[in-house]
Amino acid sequence: MNEVLEQKLSTEYKYGFVTDFEADNAPKGLNEDIIRFISAKKKEPEWMLDYRLTAFRHWITMKEPDWAHVSYQKPDFQDIIYYSAPKPKKVLNSLDEVDPELLKTFQKLGISILEQERLTGVESRIALDIIVDSVSVSTTYKETLAEKGIIFCSFGEAIQEHPELVQKYMSSVVPYTDNFYAALNSAVFTDGTFCYIPKGVRCPMELSTYFRIEAAGTGQFERTLIIADEDSYVSYLEGCTAPMRDENQLHAAVVELVAHKDAQIKYSTVQNWYPGDKDGKGGIFNFVTKRGICLEENSKISWTQVETGSAITWKYPSVILKGDNSIGEFYSVALTNNYQQADTGTKMIHIGKNTKSTIISKGISAGYSNNSYRGLVRIGKGADNARNFSQCDSLLMTDQCGAHTFPYIEIKNNTAIVEHEATTSKIGEDQLFYCKQRGIDNEKAIGLIVNGYCKDVLSQLPMEFAVEAQKLLEVSLEGSVG
Amino acid sequence: MLSIKNLHASIDGKEILRGINLEIKAGEVHAIMGPNGSGKSTLSAVLAGRSEYEVTEGEIIYNGINLLELEAEDRAREGIFLAFQYPIEIPGVSNINFLKTAIGEIRAYKGLEPLAAKEFLTLMKEKQKLVEIDKALISRSINEGFSGGEKKRNEIFQMAMLEPKLSILDETDSGLDIDALRIVANGVNKLKSKDNATIVITHYQRLLDYIIPDVVHVLYNGKIVKTGPKELALELEEKGYDFIKEVEEVEA
Amino acid sequence: METAIKTSTIKGKLIFEFETSKLFLFGNTQLRDQAMESFYKQGIPTRNHEEYKYTPISSILKGEFDFSTNKNCTDEQIEPLKFLKEAYNVIIENGIFVEGLSNLENLPKGVTICSLVNAATSNSALFEKHYAQYADIKTDPFIALNTAMTKDGVFIHIAKNVIIEKPIHVIHISTASKSTIIHPRNLIVVDENAQAKIIESFETVDSKAKTFSNAVTEIVVDKHAILDHYKIQDENELGYLMNTTQVIQKKQSVFSTHTFTLSGALVRNNLTLVLDDEHIESHLNGLYITAGNQVVDNHTVVDHRKPNCNSNELYKGIIDGKSTATFNGKIFVRKDAQKTNAFQSNKNILLSEDGTINTKPQLEIYADDVKCSHGTSTGKLDQEKIFYLQARGIGLTNAKKLLMHAFASEVVNTVKIEALCDYIEGKIAKTFE
Repeated sequence: MNEVLEQKLSTEYKYGFVTDFEADNAPKGLNEDIIRFISAKKKEPEWMLDYRLTAFRHWITMKEPDWAHVSYQKPDFQDIIYYSAPKPKKVLNSLDEVDPELLKTFQKLGISILEQERLTGVESRIALDIIVDSVSVSTTYKETLAEKGIIFCSFGEAIQEHPELVQKYMSSVVPYTDNFYAALNSAVFTDGTFCYIPKGVRCPMELSTYFRIEAAGTGQFERTLIIADEDSYVSYLEGCTAPMRDENQLHAAVVELVAHKDAQIKYSTVQNWYPGDKDGKGGIFNFVTKRGICLEENSKISWTQVETGSAITWKYPSVILKGDNSIGEFYSVALTNNYQQADTGTKMIHIGKNTKSTIISKGISAGYSNNSYRGLVRIGKGADNARNFSQCDSLLMTDQCGAHTFPYIEIKNNTAIVEHEATTSKIGEDQLFYCKQRGIDNEKAIGLIVNGYCKDVLSQLPMEFAVEAQKLLEVSLEGSVG
Repeated sequence: MLSIKNLHASIDGKEILRGINLEIKAGEVHAIMGPNGSGKSTLSAVLAGRSEYEVTEGEIIYNGINLLELEAEDRAREGIFLAFQYPIEIPGVSNINFLKTAIGEIRAYKGLEPLAAKEFLTLMKEKQKLVEIDKALISRSINEGFSGGEKKRNEIFQMAMLEPKLSILDETDSGLDIDALRIVANGVNKLKSKDNATIVITHYQRLLDYIIPDVVHVLYNGKIVKTGPKELALELEEKGYDFIKEVEEVEA
Repeated sequence: METAIKTSTIKGKLIFEFETSKLFLFGNTQLRDQAMESFYKQGIPTRNHEEYKYTPISSILKGEFDFSTNKNCTDEQIEPLKFLKEAYNVIIENGIFVEGLSNLENLPKGVTICSLVNAATSNSALFEKHYAQYADIKTDPFIALNTAMTKDGVFIHIAKNVIIEKPIHVIHISTASKSTIIHPRNLIVVDENAQAKIIESFETVDSKAKTFSNAVTEIVVDKHAILDHYKIQDENELGYLMNTTQVIQKKQSVFSTHTFTLSGALVRNNLTLVLDDEHIESHLNGLYITAGNQVVDNHTVVDHRKPNCNSNELYKGIIDGKSTATFNGKIFVRKDAQKTNAFQSNKNILLSEDGTINTKPQLEIYADDVKCSHGTSTGKLDQEKIFYLQARGIGLTNAKKLLMHAFASEVVNTVKIEALCDYIEGKIAKTFE
């Protein structure tokens, strides 16, 4: 950053700061003052504020992207509350204080195990960070993890306590210039999860973040940064829900993963944001940038996602395969029903030699929904012996829904092996009748067929999540075959 | 076991079956032959309970039950098995899981406890040997990536597993080379008993060299126009279906 | 036809030969004239021709060529080529059916095997129904040239409901004493519900000069019929093969074809399958093992025109020396061809620095409920595997051989005739020596 600008920023910082916001909610709208407010609320160091402001200034020069196969009323960015901390009484010290509805959702997500084990004093397999409306309210098992040198905390805390790590890695995978929503997130993100696994450590439990949008009219802009140092391993789960509201709420997260030499990161998501009602009213706009980099050799990043929520989804968890022999994986089930729209897929950027990527995408469209797969496989010039296998299947449940596949394959190295398979099929009367003829009724048959169809992806999820995801799919599809 | 009286059925308002009468007793093998479009596959679909076909007249009594009142799955649970002409692929669902579910449902219908995993595996091994099907095929997804011949063999394996009372083989011979045909026929013959019956639907006589029918029916224009002993099939092959058409026209 | 044709060029010589000999050729002269006209328009493809980019045809056809088709083979020379004990053998020498050297006694009822010349008159109804109906003279200059100039070939007919359990082995031999161009033409018709296994092998016996064989085979697999088809291409360094196979499949038929290219100076295979009705099953397998200055080019087309069909294609190659191997596979899935399953795979091992592999898989899909895939790979022998074998005491040469055998076996195992499988195994083992 040049000196003049820096000076200007610090001047403005000095004079432009508004202190009379007493409420925990920022007022609606977005300007530099709001960003200063957020930064001040979070008692951030100056470098963080600088970063936010730079991102904001870049953001205002950008246009909202419109290449995705979705159509919606663009959000009014001045009509959103960018900071909403839970009211003091809601600041929780332990899970016992979490409201029962939240716990019920946890149970749904299979996280009840945590509680039981906690009560019996047995060490849980899941450490949890809970983020409600962008603010981390509780992080469990921090101490247990700390013994191994693992840092698992809210992003805000990381900025305070591990600034060197945050400064080193934040924005290194998804720069604020990357896209419209990444720039917005970089300017206004309020919290998120930070995780660092030190050299040679295999994280002994699943790390999990649970995101929830609570307050009306808020946007959620969380940021996740996971760093797996040399020869380490971590499996991370992300669960998302939001209560029913009939206005659209915006969710624009940024997730960055960094895998060093021989390290492995497994990132699983079960996304069940409110999809809107059956007439397409309300629901979350989910515009997320997720990207990982296999920075050094023999590293591996795998994304697994089961997406059943959100009114609009715009999401491409990607892997940059920079290190030689690194591996990227993407396993996805995206289910859309009613008037939901999803444009989702991945990017696999092969740079290193002998890099390997696998893409398994299973789209399920029901109702009047639209479901698109968009994926890029790029084999760079130096990526000798790169391999990719892509399989993109679409399953249509009705005649009114749509499924689309947009594969992009760019190969600049002739030793590459790239395989692409795509299918589109309608859940057939034929298949249902075949099952019936063997004594299996309609409902069971649909369960069998859909689960069979998604098997390759569900089998990638940790056990507790897989069972839940399976149920989630069945519930989301109830009565939708036509 | 099966008594079909004056069965009329249509699809999309077009009448395909125009008064079928058929009596089948336990222990018997009936062959139904006929030219393309004569209604062979419609008859099997109506027996198995495909909802696209509308039965406009007549009745089907199966072991004392009015079959037409049952849903397709209940017919299957009552012991009717259709070996499909074009077996369906269901990706991701293994044959084993599929059969386990099917057997579970059928047993529940009969008020029986589900089979223990061990019993199921023993049963599977036994039947797999009986119908000479490759073990590897069984653990794969139902019919996915199978060749035509493998699909047909898998149908016979499922038939062996579900132990039906009435089996309907709908053009099970098509797509099978002579070696595979012998194996499939062999499997079917081994499954025959005095308590079950088989309907073999075919366009060609060849299959009937290996599965010997007690009775041969000729279906033409939605009606059984001729019934006779197994020699009728040979006669038909020699003279072709035009011969039946001529007979039919003379009689009309 | 225009008059100003230079008889110094090969094109001119071919046309001149055609004009002087056409009255003595069998069949329909009008068709031959049209075919020659079409050849004249298309010309001999150069490397600028997309479909012949990797097949140096025009340079091969330089120099003097003879068009006569002499017969001089003896029983003793033929005997070792009849490598299947249980088979009906058909000998085609320099493109001409030789009854005397063939063994066609005790053919089952309903099976006809004779020369094409003979079939044109004795079996004229069937001949006219199918001959030149599938290999289109407008699509390829070599089909046109063959249709104009062919002198003979074999005609095989399996009647409705007939199964011929013993394989039919068609042995094509070249015995040229001068550089020769020949145009063998075959027609194979497998009627409704019939089944057969046909093997074509291509050999050179006592050849002293180049033979450029421009063969065209049309195959009809009628409804419910099953045909297994094999090609063993094993000519010497004087053999140049231009081999076009055009297959039409009807409802519920099953057709498998297996092409083994083991030697020969140049082999170009044009294999086209038209799946013209529903519930058809097709298998295309190929194995090419090349060395020296060999050129092998496999062009395949699978044309899915109707719904519910399955095609499965696997071509593998082992390339050594300065040889060039090309695989060009097209799969069309037409608009009506819903529920198509079409798979294609091409895998190559490059043993030398100077070998070349060109691979071009192409999918053109116009239907939306289909399952299609293609994959291609090219690589060296896996060094780690070699090392593993070495670490178990297996010498380098044997370790390589073992791995090459393993690689080839995926294709060899698709051969359903045991004796043939053994024969090919033996041949492959020899090429690896």
